[in-house]
Amino acid sequence: MLELFLNFGLPFLLLLVAYFVGTMLEKGHFRSIRKREGEYAKFPVVTFDTMPDDWSASSGTLVSGSVVISLDYFKRVIAGLRAIVGGRIKTYEPLLDRARREAMLRMIEDARRDGYDAIFNVRLETSRLANSRGDGKGTAGVEMLAFGTAVKFASRFARTQ
Amino acid sequence: MKFIPRQPREGINVSDTHPLVEAGTLVAGLTVIFVAIALLLIFLVEIALYFIPVEKEVALFEDWLPEDLVTVSPADERLHQTQLLVDRLAFHWADAPYTFRVEIDDSSVANAMALPGGLIVVTEGLLDLVESENELAFVLGHELGHFRNRDHLRALGRGIVLSLFFATTMGKDVSNISVNVTDLALRGFSRQQESSADEFGLALVYTHYGHVDQAWRLFERWDETDGTVLNVVSYTSTHPDAGDRVDKLKDQALREGWPVEGSITGLKW
Ligand SMILES: [Zn+2]
Repeated sequence: MLELFLNFGLPFLLLLVAYFVGTMLEKGHFRSIRKREGEYAKFPVVTFDTMPDDWSASSGTLVSGSVVISLDYFKRVIAGLRAIVGGRIKTYEPLLDRARREAMLRMIEDARRDGYDAIFNVRLETSRLANSRGDGKGTAGVEMLAFGTAVKFASRFARTQ
Repeated sequence: MKFIPRQPREGINVSDTHPLVEAGTLVAGLTVIFVAIALLLIFLVEIALYFIPVEKEVALFEDWLPEDLVTVSPADERLHQTQLLVDRLAFHWADAPYTFRVEIDDSSVANAMALPGGLIVVTEGLLDLVESENELAFVLGHELGHFRNRDHLRALGRGIVLSLFFATTMGKDVSNISVNVTDLALRGFSRQQESSADEFGLALVYTHYGHVDQAWRLFERWDETDGTVLNVVSYTSTHPDAGDRVDKLKDQALREGWPVEGSITGLKW
């Protein structure tokens, strides 16, 4: 009976805890992301690898934002089940969405803190972090890195609207 | 270039399937697949056992014992006497392909089982209930009847596949597949298989003692007490109603003209 509990009951309990805590944390994170995205909406961020012609910059620098987010146990288990039959790993999608958007926000915050006006040549990089299991399998989490070139405009009016 | 501020659109990169719906779908779907595979495996094992030649069965299960069987001491007098009785009865089954082995299971619930390779397991609970050797002889003869009809290989598939499943999920050694006597105790044979085993058992008892007195006395007692005061739930749940069996056995004795009275052999323990 104890063996049965340890083998099936405990993981199930852990799964429930992971689901409720994980969902709560994720909702909170999305709330914070949306709020900040609203605040920075007017800050120009573009992916051109050269500066747009009508921008005239007085100075520029590299800015970056990176974030590391771990999977919760629930996401991992469901993804494991999904891996048996294949298909969209739906529980990972919000995780990566959060990571991308959080990395972008941090990059923008990095630029704004030093008074930059815009960022161009924005790139996103992702990497799988350490393994979550001793046998080299499982993912502990993802890292998302956003970087680009931040510029200060020559004059307040240089940015043509 | 005019920069148009815009916030990331929701619902493009993230599926709107609720995680619990996703979990439920996966668990339910995989369970269905898993159960289907298990049923198929059980079916295949049953088929394989159905066609296994008796020599092969004997070779495979020669030294086999159910994993959770709690045997009594090898020096136990009841074990010697029961083994002796089985040997004497089997002597009258001229071309028996088995060398029968008897084991006594340390369980208070009355039961007797015919298991692969000629293994007969009787429980201490059963031995406590029998009052004469003649009563025990019929129970053993009945089990020998299951061997004759090869009923004992039926319904083994479930036990084998289930233990395979538990071995893999509990991370035990898969090569050491065990079948539990507690699972086997629950398998029931068809009414037809049971009556056929009864007929064979009664014939053995008659050949051995020259009469069938007390052969069904055990079942008569169960029938009188309704089986409830005795620890016979397991045996009666897998065997036909005691009253019906007694009637059939009486009919058989009458038909064959076997004496229903004779000298009774007491238990030697
Ligand atoms: Zn039977």
